[in-house]
Amino acid sequence: MSYTFLNRFLLTALLILSVDFFLNAQSNIIQKYENSHVFAGIEVGSKGVKMSFIEIENRATEDATFRILRDTTINTDFISFTQPTYQATLVALNDLFEVAVKKNKIPAGNVFTAISSGVNIQAVKADKLVWIDQLINSFKTRNNEPERKVTVVDVKEEARLSHLGIVPESRRFNTFLIDIGSGNTKGGYFPYGNTRSFKLFELTWGTKSAANAAEKMMSDNNSLENFSSQIKRVLAGAEQDEIIYAVNASGAFPKSDNVAFSGGIAWAVATLIAPELNDNDVVAVTYDDVLAFSEKLFKTPGLYSDYYIVKSLPKNTPDLEKIEKEVMQVNKVFNQRSLLSGTGLLLKIMRQFDGVIERKKFYLVKNGTVGWISAFVTQNAGK
Amino acid sequence: MLLLVSLLLVLVSFVLIWTWGYGYYAKNDKTTKIVINAVPVDSASITNYIRDSLQQVYTTTLKDLDVQLDSTLIHTDSLRTELDLKLAEFYRLRNEIAVLLNKRFVNNNFSVAKQKITELQIKAADLKSKNDDVEKENRKLDEVLRQIKDPERTVDNNNKPANTAKISTEENANPVYQLFAVSDMRLSAIQVADDTETETSEAGKTVKFNGALSVVNFNSQVSNAEIAIIILKPDGKVLKNSGWDSGTFNTPDGKKIYSYKIVFDYAKGESKRLSFSVRSGTLPIGKYTMEIYHNGSLIGLTSKTLS
Repeated sequence: MSYTFLNRFLLTALLILSVDFFLNAQSNIIQKYENSHVFAGIEVGSKGVKMSFIEIENRATEDATFRILRDTTINTDFISFTQPTYQATLVALNDLFEVAVKKNKIPAGNVFTAISSGVNIQAVKADKLVWIDQLINSFKTRNNEPERKVTVVDVKEEARLSHLGIVPESRRFNTFLIDIGSGNTKGGYFPYGNTRSFKLFELTWGTKSAANAAEKMMSDNNSLENFSSQIKRVLAGAEQDEIIYAVNASGAFPKSDNVAFSGGIAWAVATLIAPELNDNDVVAVTYDDVLAFSEKLFKTPGLYSDYYIVKSLPKNTPDLEKIEKEVMQVNKVFNQRSLLSGTGLLLKIMRQFDGVIERKKFYLVKNGTVGWISAFVTQNAGK
Repeated sequence: MLLLVSLLLVLVSFVLIWTWGYGYYAKNDKTTKIVINAVPVDSASITNYIRDSLQQVYTTTLKDLDVQLDSTLIHTDSLRTELDLKLAEFYRLRNEIAVLLNKRFVNNNFSVAKQKITELQIKAADLKSKNDDVEKENRKLDEVLRQIKDPERTVDNNNKPANTAKISTEENANPVYQLFAVSDMRLSAIQVADDTETETSEAGKTVKFNGALSVVNFNSQVSNAEIAIIILKPDGKVLKNSGWDSGTFNTPDGKKIYSYKIVFDYAKGESKRLSFSVRSGTLPIGKYTMEIYHNGSLIGLTSKTLS
């Protein structure tokens, strides 16, 4: 009992110290455009609290030109719904608000706050909706902002906002955006040439859930070969039972020239397939590129180590150090099995759009994490 | 009597010599025993000794291979994929061995490390032989490229007229004839004032580059032909519109980043005019070079200087 208490106390103290350290490390933001305003978006997500500083040029409308000046996340694991993670989330939320308003002098009215759909779904499942209400109320009281609106975003709205935040205006109505998360996949497109009607696309499979299902089928044989066989089996089932139907039902094929994938696996695959495009937010790929990547990843994962990738790039490649760090980060977040799982799922979805007669252009989005919150801010800034 | 004394003295001498000899032997034997007994007492030093010797073998193998590896990475070609696999295996083994050798536990079993080093040495030998193949392949390709770049000479060598109207089947198979011929290339810096676009030569006013080119190919009908365009800034970096428009493609010199890619359907013999636009941020003063590639080969080059 006392051990558990001590454990929780230490965890909370550590999180608070990390937040303080992070806050002290903040420096003032630098704007790019001459006629622009800086806004901040604070999002309570499943894994942590995220803040993005967004610069909007001239006008603040849904389609305004904006630029992410900085984004940062404090991991708090709110969806565990325990007292320490709740406290850590509240501290992070309060402190990020303070960073925006006091340290960076952004008017409180230009700071927008929201709770992600992932948190809401988990709260409903665990019957913990009251925790969200409590978090919002505590935040309002602590910052003396009784009128503040903290929006709880639903899945469809989050997918719509992601599209607005990630896909450029020129490709708005011919791009199908699919976000592959750890537990599920969601996305959609605008079928009628306006941004009000959004066709939602959802799958119950994600990178982690597919890997978990494969691991459950492995029994005593923990080899990579067995994992590969099981993940193929899991994904073949997912394709037959869900993916084919969901893609057909979405009606996206004839209306989309481009299919863009966001989420952690898209970032990881894009970074490992085209490390030299490290400053691109989006990387164009083909089905064959991803298939070849998946095969190499299974047979010779060493090809995607930071050492090998840097060594195989030309010596005059700019930002080699940055590339090395990014590849290291990918390998830290995704191990070989989760990469195989995510890539397998990616391929199953891509295959639905890779027809013999007509092939869609595929893109992997690397900055998807700031997608919906940036659009949320841009949309609310215009009101 | 004297003889008896002498015999006794000789006998005593023998006894003394035998005693001395035995003493010397016994002493040596004791020393050996001490050394043998020392093993369990100081097994760390033996472990270290084994590790160090393995480290030495490992380092020599690596050193021996590093030179080969660098040249292999530079001279890449059709064998690249196979080579990649070998290299990756090599790196994996190297890392595993490094981890094993770094474990400084006294009772560490180095047989695994030994086995892996042997494996590494086999891989190294394999890589060396593969590198020879790569170099051979490169020499062959160099020869083919030389012939492609100098077709007239090849024609002359075959005692054929310089302007052959009809292209033989063999020539059709030659990749040079499958490439587009490019002409009328234009690269313009564009400024926008009052919603009107005009050409400029000032870097500070430029908001985008507009480019145009004509392509023709009398030998191939191509669906989904791809022309990759690279605009190089004065500092040698590639000018990119956005991630949605730029990407990478393969050339004999390795992967390159393109600024823009034009995909089009092409009917044999048609002269096709292609155009594109690449938006720019703040541009430095200097020379901007536009390179045009088809199937990984450079088919056109032009430049524009901005003041």
